[in-house]
Amino acid sequence: MTSIVATNQTILVVGGGISGMTAALEAAETGKQVVLVEKNPYLGGRTVQLYRYFPKMCHPTCGLEINLRRLKANPRIQVLTLAEVTGITGSKGAYSVSVKLKPRYVNTNCTACGECGKAVQTEIADAFNYNLGKIKAAYLPSSMAYPQRYVIDPSIIGTPDAERAKAACKYDAVNLDDQEEVISLNAGAIVWATGWQPYDASKIVYYGYDRFANVISNVEFERLADPHGPTGGRILRPSDGKEAKNIAFIQCAGSRDENHLRHCSRFCCMGSLKQTHYVQEKYGDAGKSTIYYIDIRAIDRFEDFYQKVKANPNVSFVKSKVARITEDKDGNPVCNGVDTEGYVRYANAHDLVVLALGMEPSVKGVEIPAEVMSDSSGFIMADPANAGIFGAGCATNALDVNRAVQSATAAALRAIQVVNKVARAEA
Amino acid sequence: MADTKTAAYICKGCEIDKRVDVSALVKTATKSGKMNLVREHDFLCSAEGVAMIQNDIDNEGVTHAAICACSRRAKTEAFNFPTIAMSRGNLREGVIWIRPDTEDARETTQEMAEDYVRMACAEVKAMQVPPGNQKTGTVKTLLVVGGGMSGMTSALEASKAGYKVVLVEKTGALGGWAGKLYRRVPTREPFKAPEDNGVADMVARIEADSNIKVYLNATIAKTDGAPGRFKVEIAIESGGIAQEDIGAIVQATGFSLYDANKLPEFGYGKTPNVVDQAGLEALAREAAAAGKPICRPFDGQPVKSVVFVQCAGQRDASGTHLQYCSGFCCNTSIKQAMYFKDANPDIDTVVLFTDLRTPGNGEDFYRAAQNKGVIFSKGVVSSVTPSGNACAVKFKDLILNEDTEAQADLVVLATGMVPNSGPDLDQLSEANRQAEGGDEAAKEQVVQLMSKSVLNLTYRQGPDMPQFKHGFNDSHFICFPYETRRTAIYTAGPVRRPMDILQAQEDATGAAMKAIQALENAGLGKAAHPRAGDLSFPTVRLEGCTQCKRCTVECPFGAIDEDEKRFPLFNESRCRRCGTCMGACPVRVISFENYSVNTVGSQIKAVDVPDEFSEKPRILILACENDAYPALDMAGMNRHEYDPYVRVIPIRCLGSVNTIWITDALNGGYDGVMLMGCKHGEEYQCHFVKGSELGRYRLSKVGDTLKGMNLETERVMDLEVAITDIATLPQKINDYAALIKSFPPSPFKGF
Amino acid sequence: MSDLNQEMAERYKNNFLKEIEEQAEMGEWVKMCMQCGLCSGSCPTNFHSGWDHPPQEIFMLIRAGKREEVLNSEGMYMCTSCYNCYVRCPRKVPVTHVMHGIAEYAYRIGRAPKAQPTLHLSKTFWSNATKYGRVNEVQLTQSLYFKDGVGAGIKKGLEMKDVALGLVKAGRLNPLEALGMGHKCKDIKGIHAMLAKAEELEARNKAAKGKE
Repeated sequence: MTSIVATNQTILVVGGGISGMTAALEAAETGKQVVLVEKNPYLGGRTVQLYRYFPKMCHPTCGLEINLRRLKANPRIQVLTLAEVTGITGSKGAYSVSVKLKPRYVNTNCTACGECGKAVQTEIADAFNYNLGKIKAAYLPSSMAYPQRYVIDPSIIGTPDAERAKAACKYDAVNLDDQEEVISLNAGAIVWATGWQPYDASKIVYYGYDRFANVISNVEFERLADPHGPTGGRILRPSDGKEAKNIAFIQCAGSRDENHLRHCSRFCCMGSLKQTHYVQEKYGDAGKSTIYYIDIRAIDRFEDFYQKVKANPNVSFVKSKVARITEDKDGNPVCNGVDTEGYVRYANAHDLVVLALGMEPSVKGVEIPAEVMSDSSGFIMADPANAGIFGAGCATNALDVNRAVQSATAAALRAIQVVNKVARAEA
Repeated sequence: MADTKTAAYICKGCEIDKRVDVSALVKTATKSGKMNLVREHDFLCSAEGVAMIQNDIDNEGVTHAAICACSRRAKTEAFNFPTIAMSRGNLREGVIWIRPDTEDARETTQEMAEDYVRMACAEVKAMQVPPGNQKTGTVKTLLVVGGGMSGMTSALEASKAGYKVVLVEKTGALGGWAGKLYRRVPTREPFKAPEDNGVADMVARIEADSNIKVYLNATIAKTDGAPGRFKVEIAIESGGIAQEDIGAIVQATGFSLYDANKLPEFGYGKTPNVVDQAGLEALAREAAAAGKPICRPFDGQPVKSVVFVQCAGQRDASGTHLQYCSGFCCNTSIKQAMYFKDANPDIDTVVLFTDLRTPGNGEDFYRAAQNKGVIFSKGVVSSVTPSGNACAVKFKDLILNEDTEAQADLVVLATGMVPNSGPDLDQLSEANRQAEGGDEAAKEQVVQLMSKSVLNLTYRQGPDMPQFKHGFNDSHFICFPYETRRTAIYTAGPVRRPMDILQAQEDATGAAMKAIQALENAGLGKAAHPRAGDLSFPTVRLEGCTQCKRCTVECPFGAIDEDEKRFPLFNESRCRRCGTCMGACPVRVISFENYSVNTVGSQIKAVDVPDEFSEKPRILILACENDAYPALDMAGMNRHEYDPYVRVIPIRCLGSVNTIWITDALNGGYDGVMLMGCKHGEEYQCHFVKGSELGRYRLSKVGDTLKGMNLETERVMDLEVAITDIATLPQKINDYAALIKSFPPSPFKGF
Repeated sequence: MSDLNQEMAERYKNNFLKEIEEQAEMGEWVKMCMQCGLCSGSCPTNFHSGWDHPPQEIFMLIRAGKREEVLNSEGMYMCTSCYNCYVRCPRKVPVTHVMHGIAEYAYRIGRAPKAQPTLHLSKTFWSNATKYGRVNEVQLTQSLYFKDGVGAGIKKGLEMKDVALGLVKAGRLNPLEALGMGHKCKDIKGIHAMLAKAEELEARNKAAKGKE
């Protein structure tokens, strides 16, 4: 049985992406007890699946390394991975929370030596790479994975493969009898930082995401560009593995659309501008990017970044929402539409189309306590009744990384206000 | 301090014992390492292995332990012994995982492992457990400078967490820019109509809050001290000075609108019918107060048509005006257009824009305005001229692709935000330098720049926060938006970055969080980000100091002042423990308990350097612990092999590299030195901001030393490394090793 | 009819947007367009012959007060009512309906171009369908084939001969319809009465709207 020490002065942070980690670390570094709950087997969330950040073109794992070092050095944070909150009762200052822990089948003895991975034969879809590749069913999700422990996929439990994993481990780290459990813990305040998910591209029927292999999403493109991704950083198109050098980026794929997401997702213009850098980085002048857009929303000093991309002769901009994608006989996706600046029709063939999918809160469809208010898009709203549950990061709004961290820092203070009040009352 | 007892623990797990001769390592730790106690274990990180070490600490009096197993980044929960000094010898990621498992490689792999054991032993013997500084201040009061929306929010949120706040506002009333608004952009669903500006409510809450002390018509005359013990002098209304003891500071000094007088092409100043957004707010308030419609300033007639010109003097690539987008003005123009439409739907309101920027729920606000009949046209305005009682607006309609003109009673220019961030420190220090040389104009400039100072810090490195791009006090870090170069001083709101009210309130809450955290940690003697919680702090042997001032000038965080005798004065709670001062010091009198010239130097000396006939060169790698060292680690995890002749030592920052390490290495017979640090320059990735840049500058002088020693300049190589260079870094190491092997062996071997 | 055009132009002076909003069915949606161009790109007729102005541009022209350019445009008659634009519009603008509304308004004030083929089809279809209560396909086809003269009609008829025979064989086309026989609806008088009532109601609505 997993045991967690938590009281009404403990802050529970739900979600271990950059927002959740930030909220947890800021609170813990202010002397608070924190329990951090993450549903994946590792921390870091979606940011670590990005190749680079805009506008600096720096690497998300650099910040993750610092955050992990802060975490490792801080005894006040207890981390639960493969964990999901299933129920919350009580009220501000005195919550009781049940958390479901899924089995990892690997205990803390694991040294990440990798022997189980070698022994196992079954391959599964690589979720870290948005299923663009395959991995062994005993795996370390990424080199930066924390906890640095292997995971055994439940699909091989009860098969000889699981036994092979167990036999390969010299440290008694594989526990095939690991069971799902539900634990209960106390918390005075809760930070809800469950992040976002890309909008379901197949719902935008006229873009044919689920019909055309060479129409992919912005998050998938990050993995293709990453040297540690499924293609080793080569931008290869899915249909035939050919190098994609002429790439279309379609903005507002789902966002600013009353049939899909009503809000503007804010990060996707900058995301696509950043991705044109990847094309330039890989192919130089042989790489061509076309951005189809309604408005380029490169807000504040990000404008500098936009101007730089605009000055690149290998990047062109078309003020148009692409109306539909077709496929030509060579399997090239063809963007059809009208350039609204002066009414010019086009039917442009590209090697690859990247849909700048919008941001949908992950809280959508997940049962969260009634006292947490959400807006009509599903984002958590600040609660005027001032309950003890606070949203942070992309669970509250469509935000870029920088603003998500800001939001999480603010959320940490709101949680501290509650537990400090509890402390004063208990003193 | 109790008696020192040293111990080395050598792990045999993860096939270390299959790849190297562990008994030889035990011998190395005992003989070369001179450890009092040496143990080996099959599985050191297991509960049993950890218990063994703990038992030695508890019952054998072990005070210093060299754990020779996996990387210092792995198994940190297991090897967690806070009461003792500990080093980690990296035998797994650093040796067996980066070497081929072949008979040929066995000898060099063994040598590598033995060196890492020697290094771990040498390092730990040079370390002490930091006791924590007992002298730091423990003031828990927050100073908030600026009483606008951001400042009021910081004050209220900090108070709610139980902290006392001193709020200083330079004007006679709280509220700032927001207080001048007729209405504000909606902050809640359904985001369809302007809402009350919210200022009166906040002012009332502040006035009722016993934790918050407000100074109006007041400015900061002087800020002295350090986090946890700032002494702040406030110039108050009466002309006197109020003294406050402060723990941490939030600077929320807001913005001014870009001066529309610089935009004569848009008719500002030529006709009163052209106003900026503040001008329109004033007209709207006047009209509301008088119960009349908004009128044309030229002749007082009710406005029947308005044109809003977006990006007026913004997003200007020519460099004449503001280059950035201020982010808030599209929504503000939408809101202002609604002032007219809500009062009278027959008033024509046209917004001329190139990109309409209404992120997030702003899209609902945009739609609501369209629904109210506000017309949006994608167009570039070329001129606004007076035309009778009204104005003529010439623009290019980008959709219809034609030059056209619109008539309007009133034209509103959406000029952008200019931060109230105080003087630019680089400009100020340049002016100071010239003024010291007797330049009268420079003296004048110094006075003028100092008159803009917000904080009047007594810091050696200047009176205000260093600025980032375009004069904003923003952070350069994506993951750490609140990082500043002045510990425990945080900026919030539009002084940090262009933003709207809603974002400013969120930002101000986050800044209050960081400030509270900073004052709490200052009181405990703990470092702030990124080495949060580090209890070490720099100590200086003043008797050896030559007063060269390099440490005071270079410290990226302005932590070091000079005392009246011109010796460096360390303000520990300002220090971020990067070690740049230690790297800068030519006489090596600065050190940390757990990181010093000696902890690294003794490792360099501990490496066994074979003689010139062995054909086994030695290459020293000093690798930044944040990016390069993890990259090397992950190279190991991915089993990328690299040269067996390199010896890697993690360092806190390239800025902490003291050139003595390099000269010691070369004098000791090393054949080459590779320095691995983060990117510097405009897009720097160094988390100590200037560390890698300063380190590199220092290293650029090493060439002379090499020439003096009659060595090839390539023997010291500076490499920029990112954490993701997992696959490419081994190749670069191998290439460098090949280059070094092409040179004759170092002539200093054997001395 | 052109005096109605004159009257409207004077009534709304330069405010063509208001004219469309008040006079054209669904005209109030014009202001909601955000100029993304999805409607223009989605139109299946787009690549067939091309229009002078696609929907999004017509909306912009209306907002820019370009009355003559819009009323002279053939754009709104080109719509085939496929509804691609409507279902895709991110602003949920009923583009199809708006286009029809503008076309109908232009027709009403006498500004529809003569010999506009879509307009011709609409008129022919309407009179055909209302005459019998359901479409007489043979007569409808005939009137379309012969609209440009007897020679052209015969030529077109011969071109389509195989298709016609196939339809007849399959029982999908009754040649007797040419004589006004074949399918008819049961209560043609009732239909006529309903249509008359509908027209009366619409006229009343429009008159009321014009007075606002």
